[in-house]
Amino acid sequence: MIKAPECSVIVITYNDSARLPRAVRSALGQSLRNIEVIISDDGSTDGTESVARALRREDRRVRYLRRDVNSGGCGAPRNDGVAAARAPYVMFLDSDDELPPHACKSMLLEMERTGADFVTGQISRLHEWNGRIKPYYPGLFARRRVVEGIAEEPDMFLDSFSTNKIYRTSTLRGLPFLEDLHYEDHVFTTELYCVARRFAVVPWVVYLWHRAAEGDGRPSISLNLQEMDNIGHRIRAARLSDDILRGNGRAGLVADRQRRFVRHDLPVYLNPLPARGPVWARKFSRLVRPYLAGLDPGVMDGADPLVRVCCRLILDEDADELVVAARSLTTPRAAPRFAVRRAGRTYWGTVPKGELDITPLRMAELPYGAARLRHEAAFHGDGSRLALTVRTYDPFGVLATAPDWRAFARFGGHRVELAPRALDDGSYLSEATVDLARAGRGRFGHESFRDPRISIVRADGRATSDRLLVDPAAEPVRVAVPGHEIVAGPEGQSAFLRVRWRRRGALRWLAPRLGRLRAGLVRRLCAPRVKLRVYRTLIRLLPPRENLVLFEADVGAGYTGNPRYVYEELKRRRAPFEMVWSVAGNRRNFPADVRLVRRMSWRYLWTMARAGHWVDSHGLPLAYPKPAGTRYLQTWHGQGVKTVGFDAPDLRADFEAPRRTWRGAVARWDALVMPSAEFERIFVTSNGYRGPVLRHGSPRCDVLVNGDPEAVRRARERLELPGDRKVLLYAPTYRDRAKFSGASVRADLAVMAEELADGWVVVLRTHPVERYAVPERLRHFVRFAGGYPEVNDLMLASDALLTDYSSLMCDYAVTGKPMFFLLDDWEEYRRAERGVNHDLPAIAPGPCVTGTEELIRAIRSLDADPAAFTAEHAARYAGFRATWCAEERGDASARVVDAFFGPVPVPAVRPAAAPEVEEVR
Amino acid sequence: MSGETVVFACLDADTLGGVQRVTHTLAQGLAGRGYDVHVLGLHRAARPFRYVEQPGYRRHVINRFPAGRLSWTAAHRERHRLRGMLRTLGSGFAVLSSPGVVARLKDVIPRRLLPIGQYHGSYEHARGSWHLRSVGRDYGRLEKAVFLSEEDAWSFSEHALLPNACAIPNPLPGWPSRVSPLTRHRVLGVGRLEGVKRFDRLITAFAGASRTVGDDWELHLIGEGAELGRLRAHARESGVRDRVVFRGAVPAAELGREYLDGAIAALSSEHEGLPLVLAEAASYGVPSVAFDVSGGVRSLVLDGETGLLAPAADVPALTAALTTLMASHEERRRLGAAARAHVEAFRLERVLDRWESLFEQVLR
Repeated sequence: MIKAPECSVIVITYNDSARLPRAVRSALGQSLRNIEVIISDDGSTDGTESVARALRREDRRVRYLRRDVNSGGCGAPRNDGVAAARAPYVMFLDSDDELPPHACKSMLLEMERTGADFVTGQISRLHEWNGRIKPYYPGLFARRRVVEGIAEEPDMFLDSFSTNKIYRTSTLRGLPFLEDLHYEDHVFTTELYCVARRFAVVPWVVYLWHRAAEGDGRPSISLNLQEMDNIGHRIRAARLSDDILRGNGRAGLVADRQRRFVRHDLPVYLNPLPARGPVWARKFSRLVRPYLAGLDPGVMDGADPLVRVCCRLILDEDADELVVAARSLTTPRAAPRFAVRRAGRTYWGTVPKGELDITPLRMAELPYGAARLRHEAAFHGDGSRLALTVRTYDPFGVLATAPDWRAFARFGGHRVELAPRALDDGSYLSEATVDLARAGRGRFGHESFRDPRISIVRADGRATSDRLLVDPAAEPVRVAVPGHEIVAGPEGQSAFLRVRWRRRGALRWLAPRLGRLRAGLVRRLCAPRVKLRVYRTLIRLLPPRENLVLFEADVGAGYTGNPRYVYEELKRRRAPFEMVWSVAGNRRNFPADVRLVRRMSWRYLWTMARAGHWVDSHGLPLAYPKPAGTRYLQTWHGQGVKTVGFDAPDLRADFEAPRRTWRGAVARWDALVMPSAEFERIFVTSNGYRGPVLRHGSPRCDVLVNGDPEAVRRARERLELPGDRKVLLYAPTYRDRAKFSGASVRADLAVMAEELADGWVVVLRTHPVERYAVPERLRHFVRFAGGYPEVNDLMLASDALLTDYSSLMCDYAVTGKPMFFLLDDWEEYRRAERGVNHDLPAIAPGPCVTGTEELIRAIRSLDADPAAFTAEHAARYAGFRATWCAEERGDASARVVDAFFGPVPVPAVRPAAAPEVEEVR
Repeated sequence: MSGETVVFACLDADTLGGVQRVTHTLAQGLAGRGYDVHVLGLHRAARPFRYVEQPGYRRHVINRFPAGRLSWTAAHRERHRLRGMLRTLGSGFAVLSSPGVVARLKDVIPRRLLPIGQYHGSYEHARGSWHLRSVGRDYGRLEKAVFLSEEDAWSFSEHALLPNACAIPNPLPGWPSRVSPLTRHRVLGVGRLEGVKRFDRLITAFAGASRTVGDDWELHLIGEGAELGRLRAHARESGVRDRVVFRGAVPAAELGREYLDGAIAALSSEHEGLPLVLAEAASYGVPSVAFDVSGGVRSLVLDGETGLLAPAADVPALTAALTTLMASHEERRRLGAAARAHVEAFRLERVLDRWESLFEQVLR
């Protein structure tokens, strides 16, 4: 007996017989087996019928409907399908797209569970040219939830697809699609949102929207942006949607629906506008203008400032400037040609007008290194050379404040100096010829690209650079060089210059194969197991050399921390050692005269095996035993309130192996630098360490005790810290459950910028296991120093510290400068996230705040009366220093070196074995 | 429905452990309902344990050596044997018990066996390890991904974007006819004496509570493990050396007597999936005090109704909760009775019903 189907999947198609089977099979392959698939053919003339009939022969769940005459849209075939549907639930699928296997069942179950009127889910674009899947506005779908009507979440107007949803068939029968409109789903979803009392949202992908590479066959309707007709349809759909809302007594939502138009629909045409040119822009403006002019007041308020500028230019009928402005919407988000500043506000163009206000972008207030200039270039090929004519606009007067600047066209490592000529309007014109055969290609046998930049170098050597905008329609220049072809041409919707090089000839075939062969060999011969085995053999056979010292700080990240100062002390004494540093990151973080060895390379293993001394601050490769005879100085990189060692989350989980490894790693230590008695109490027991301790303070803190004006100057110059503003060092620690997520930057920097940018600048020092990019609109106020090589410089150059639970606070206390603590997640951090050994709010040597507003108030109170601020926290500050910094006297390096390397080592004391330390509340 | 094949696949099906106990209980239960059940272990246990005296299902071992790293040839041989073994089975379902098993079986399961993935940890635990990525990558392609509690299933659907997450709890092995009188002043902590169980925190809380309530209470820790020495020392330091009793391992068959002698079951772990010890205690009418560490714990202990929950790792709150229950027999009776009623849902027959309706849902 055949059961009635539970869901009807309506696949609409028109002359798409090649892709139809993929769509239909994705429906037939659903984990919901009891479905019917209705192919609704909009009068195809290409053999779709025979393909559909073959699919029906393959699987009897397929049905086929056919219109005799093409309707020209998606509405009519959808309506046909709905009329024919036999199941109580319906989903739509376009013949060029696919449903992921659980789409039907997962949404059907959600519908049954929630009793919602419809269920909507994440729609993702599948870029067919590279196979990548990109979710559409993932923020809309991130939470699995039931929304009690659109008024509760008007942002959902951004989801105007008919395809990523499951509906009750009865609902659909009351909401027919318009049949004479391309954007019928915009109107349909508006109606749907009007009638739905409640709908459910699911976060997983329920629809794969295939995007074909451009120029690949017939573009589908939504991609065919060239057509003015298309724009007309979209605007009509917007007007109809607004009318529907008003007609249903939902006039209050019209502004929200229009916000969606400004945020999403408009940029669909504005972003590619530079390539279409001014004539197209004029026609486009004429079409859009009446609708924009009638927008509800307030719709533009929250819009992106540059979109707002574009809207103003559309209303002002300034198509030429519109093309200029549209080039600032997408990468590289170019600066304007001209800008004017009045009363602290910045405006696009030459006339200060309300809607042209671009102050929130903060482009005009950037430090020189991040300053924005606009370079518009024309280019043509001349043999292997590229002739450039560059017009440079300086809208914010950056060059005027940097006398004796020089300009270069930079093609990677190759650069050509320009001879700019000032023009009457304040811009500059320069010409250059670059030999692409010399400049373009990277390593032989590689494929890659590079974006040339114009770099303006100030007299003091500091440079600022920007990409070059070129004519979007320009023909690319092709140059053949041995093994490669180099192509220079426009890239992206804003059309900036990009140089690509591709392999050519035999290399094209050979290089990838050689690359795979090499990777395979490396994988087998350099596997961690192989390396460890070789290393074990080495240390059995070779005795360590007494005079070879291996240094490593922050797992090879840089030349910093205790190992650095031990190294410098040895160097100062001209100790007869051969000293080698481990490097994992940027080699430029090390002084030029330091001998480097790449961490985990064969040479590194050799050095580990041969070195008579290891000096480190985290842990040399944990699984690697220490050679007999080698002495290991563990200097540890910080102390503080967080749990460490076996009490830290990574080691207290339900897996034994990491604990075993760490126990073995700790057993290698021959001496441990002990910054304070408190550190000794906690760290030694938490790690089960039984060896000697060196109670002389931290070598890295000597400079904090003694001061270093040169370091202050260096940091201020490198980070471009203005002399007239105070420096707040913001150093949050990482969150164990959210590494590399940006989650540790918890202060609202935008609010702080609004309130504090006049008197302060923030130096943001993120933890090495954190990833965070400062948005451009905050760069006038925030200097990113996550990769700054020496954190001591930052502490010396700052006027105050803002942190949460970072061990930096203990070092910073040595300086005696004010500290602020942002402890908004203290309870979570203390109990579950990490665990702590101290009650920070009780012992913190400065104000503990739980939000940005409160933080700003605390910083203001420091500004208002520094003496009173200091006095208020003096007692706790003194207590804090007594706990953590009592040993810091400025001579720790010398004493540690004496103790570890000197002829008479300080006698070791074994701490008594103590039970696990319970957390203090 | 019955007559269908159900294959349970584990890394090692005959090692002594929670996952294996659940697997054999379910296998025997479904076999009793007429399914053709097979329990498949990828590896032979180092010390095999017999869970069911007269199994109504068949057992298979693929590799005749304990779990560990597989060489390339061994992995190839394993796939070959798996294909050969699975070929002999009829149509039905394959229940894969962990991310590792899913990764090793997903490409060899024949189409007529519909794959269902199980995950025996909490979302919180998966988040801190490689499991979250592994579950997110592999489980979405299976017919269903089964988690221990509705809350865990929800978290995986949101954060691992699984469209097929659902929840079925693990079953209680039995259902006692008698309940504990809750009069004997004894707190029970059941579990391996390992770091993750954090019995040190329980000892601290117990010491604090008995300072308030009185020193005629005892804490009985049932289980063995590497932490024994440290915990003994900790009990001594906390001043409750005589009243923390380390009982060592107690056979499953005799555990019932322990619950009948208990008044409170306590759980202080860092991580827990669905701690069945709390459900077992509840089946004997013993209320629980536990750290609120997972959806599984919250599904077992309704705070204030069937026991008391303390925020994760909040020792003073655990102390306060213990104090409340230790101080009031009346309160223990009230919560204990409700707890027994609440865990009826974890009885084997109920759980088997849920598996059967899951099978139906897969076939929809």
